[in-house]
This record gives sequence, C-alpha cells and structure tokens, in this order.
Amino acid sequence: MKTQNQNEQLDNLSQELRRGALPLAVLCMLQENKYGYALIGDLTAAGVEMDQGTLYPMLRRLESQGLLQSSWVVDGARPRRYYVISPQGREVLASLSGEWQKLSRVVQSLLEQIEK
Amino acid sequence: MNLVERYLHAVGRRLPAKNRADILAELRSHLNDTLEERFGGQASEEDVAELLKETGEPTKVAASYTGGRQYLIGPELYPVFRMVALIVLAATIGGQLVAIAVGLLAGEAHAAGWNAWAGLVNSIPAALGSVVIVFLILQHFGVNPDLKEKEAWDPKTLPAFEEDEKVKPSEQIVGIVFGSIFLGLLAAFPGKIGFITFPGGAFYPDPVIAQYMGWIILALLAGIGLNVYLLWQGRWTTGSRVAQVAVNLLSIGVLVLLYQGHTAWLAAHGSSGLFPSLVKFGEDIAENIQVLGMESFRLAFGIALVVTVVDTVVELVKLVRKSLRKESVPGN
Repeated sequence: MKTQNQNEQLDNLSQELRRGALPLAVLCMLQENKYGYALIGDLTAAGVEMDQGTLYPMLRRLESQGLLQSSWVVDGARPRRYYVISPQGREVLASLSGEWQKLSRVVQSLLEQIEK
Repeated sequence: MNLVERYLHAVGRRLPAKNRADILAELRSHLNDTLEERFGGQASEEDVAELLKETGEPTKVAASYTGGRQYLIGPELYPVFRMVALIVLAATIGGQLVAIAVGLLAGEAHAAGWNAWAGLVNSIPAALGSVVIVFLILQHFGVNPDLKEKEAWDPKTLPAFEEDEKVKPSEQIVGIVFGSIFLGLLAAFPGKIGFITFPGGAFYPDPVIAQYMGWIILALLAGIGLNVYLLWQGRWTTGSRVAQVAVNLLSIGVLVLLYQGHTAWLAAHGSSGLFPSLVKFGEDIAENIQVLGMESFRLAFGIALVVTVVDTVVELVKLVRKSLRKESVPGN
C-alpha cells in the first residue's frame, strides 16, 4: 500500500516537473509547419511523451498568446491544421531557453552537492 | 452515425460555441489520422471504441479545452458571495415575516393569506438570484479587491494589530438585518407607518414620518452600506470611523427632524411639554389616542436620538484616542 502511494507521489511529482518543460519542447519542435498528429510522433521520437489531450489545448493556448500561428491545409485525404512558431514565439523561446539552462545548471549543482 | 461522429458530438456539446467547430475539426482529423496509421483504414468498431477510450471521456476532453474556468463565481469571490447571500436571505425572510406580523396586527386580512406566504417563498430565489447576478458581473470584470496584487505593496502599510480595531461581524450583521427590515417595511407600507386605536380600529398614518421619508431611507441606506463595507474589510480604520461618525451625524439630524416634527404636531394639536396628554385630555377620544400615539413615536425617536448621540461620542473618543496614540509612537 505504501509503495503504491509512493509510486503515485513520484508520478505526480515527475508530471509536475515535466509540465513546465512541455511548452518549451513544443516551441522547439515547431520551427517548421506541423500538424498535431505528426507533432505527437516527433515529440515521442525525441523522448517527450505527450498525449493529444494535453497537446491540442496547449497548441490553442500558445496560439492565443501569439506564440504560434496556425492554418488549415487541405492536401490528401483530410484537412489538417498546421502550426508554426511566430516571431514573438521565437523571442519567448530564446528567453525561455536561457531560463531553462540556468535552472538546469542550478539543479545540477545542487544534486552534485548531495552526491559528494 | 459512426462512433467517431457520435464522440465528437458528445465533446462538442460541452465546448463553448465560439471555437466548437474548429476544435472538433482538429480532433476529427487527429482521430482519423490515428485510425489510418494503426489500422490502415480497416478499423473495426471495436478498434474505434478502443481508440476513443484511450482519447478520454468527452467531458474530460472538453474540459481540457475550456481552461478549467467552469464556474460562475470563483474561489476568490466565493467567501464574500456566501456572506452577502446569507445576509440578504436573512433580511429578505426577516423583513417579510415582520411585514406579515405587522399586517396581522393592523388587521389586514390579506397579510396572513396564502399570497403573503407564497410571496415570501418566491422572494427567496429572487433575492439569491439578484446576489448571483451582481457577483457574476463582479467576476466578469475581475473585481477582486482582497486578493488583487497591488503595485509596489509595502508590508509597512499593514494595519497595526489592536484588539478593539477588529470589526465584530455580529454587530454589523445585526445592523444590516435590522436596517434592511426597516427599509423593507417602509417600502412595503409607504405612508402606512402609524398607529391604530385598537386592533381592527381606525388607522392614523404618522404625517411627520411620511414628510421625512426620503431622509429616513437615506440614513438607513448609509448605515447599511457602511456595515457591509466594515464586514468586508474586517478591521476599523480611521477612515471608517470617520464615516461611522458621519453616518451617525446624518441619523442624528434625521432623528432631530422627526422629534421636532412630532413636537410641532403636538403643539398644533394643543399639547406641549413631555407628556401633556397625561395632564390634559380633550373631549374627542379618537384625537386623544392620536395625540398619545404621536407622543409614543416622539418618545421612541427621542430614545433613538440619545442612543445615537452616545454612540457618536464613543466613536469620537476612540478616534481622538487613536490619533493621540499614533502621535506618541516614536518614529511615526
């Protein structure tokens, strides 16, 4: 029972840890036009697990914040909505990337301290 | 209709109309892409069901798009909403019960009838509904005075903690409830505040109350408004004490008008002094009772006047004491 609780706890904490990094990953991946289904595949291939229930609402949110642009394209069997990073998105990505590296360094050095 | 379309319909019902078509088109495209990749366009109904199960319940999928704002009154406003709703409810029910009781005493048969009770029951959703509408508007415009982050907030501006500065909610609630009941009575029986000679007998409206009705309502509204504000703030400040004194002065003014009005009426009807009717009675019994009634009203207003003056003096003393203490604190 206790281990199950601990597992849940670990799941929740790592989910929380990942949640903040997901928009960063999505902005990185959208340097060129991609539709949702293909993006999920690319993210998975890059090692970022993200289901459609998280991705599509996030794409909408990022678009409403002006960080992404989207357009419907009809080629082949069905219409698809393609997303790409916007100029404002590129600026935000640059600052976020700096933040991420700083955070990563700080956490890394903290972890190294306890390993000693 | 195939399972995917039924699923999309179920999701769409829970989405805001604004983006519904767009979100559903994208979800449809995603589901069809997945089906095609997994089953090459040969998916059985079981396969589709399996995918939809994986995608999630329509309610949850729809909720992930609405950004979680699925409430009318948010957690920041809710405590204030609950408090105001309870007060309004108490005042609505209390006011009408008093109105029914007064109507019964005045011998108005319709006051106790089915309509009066039905009106009381009907007024509850109406009152609560009005409060909800007000809070919906506050929520919509993001009015949230307690939790809104202020620019350059300075901890030094936190009020000093003194026991007598804490507002006692019970006093304010009693004030609001009674103020509302009086207002309700004035609204329910305009021009009918007066006295009767005996149960079922002739009714004499008090002409002086009718004359100063506007001022009475103004003073009651000012009192209720200040009480609501104090309840909201939870602490006394110099500003609210000054406001309390101002409201009291307004009440004193109105009470003086009422007292003098009654005195003038009594003088015009051949009575003067504090309780002249006890000394001298006219021949007309009805007029005597009228004079007695007006004297009772004058006495009630006189008592209210004394109580308000004492309360005002107490408030003034507190105000002066507080400002003296402030000056004596070093560094202030």
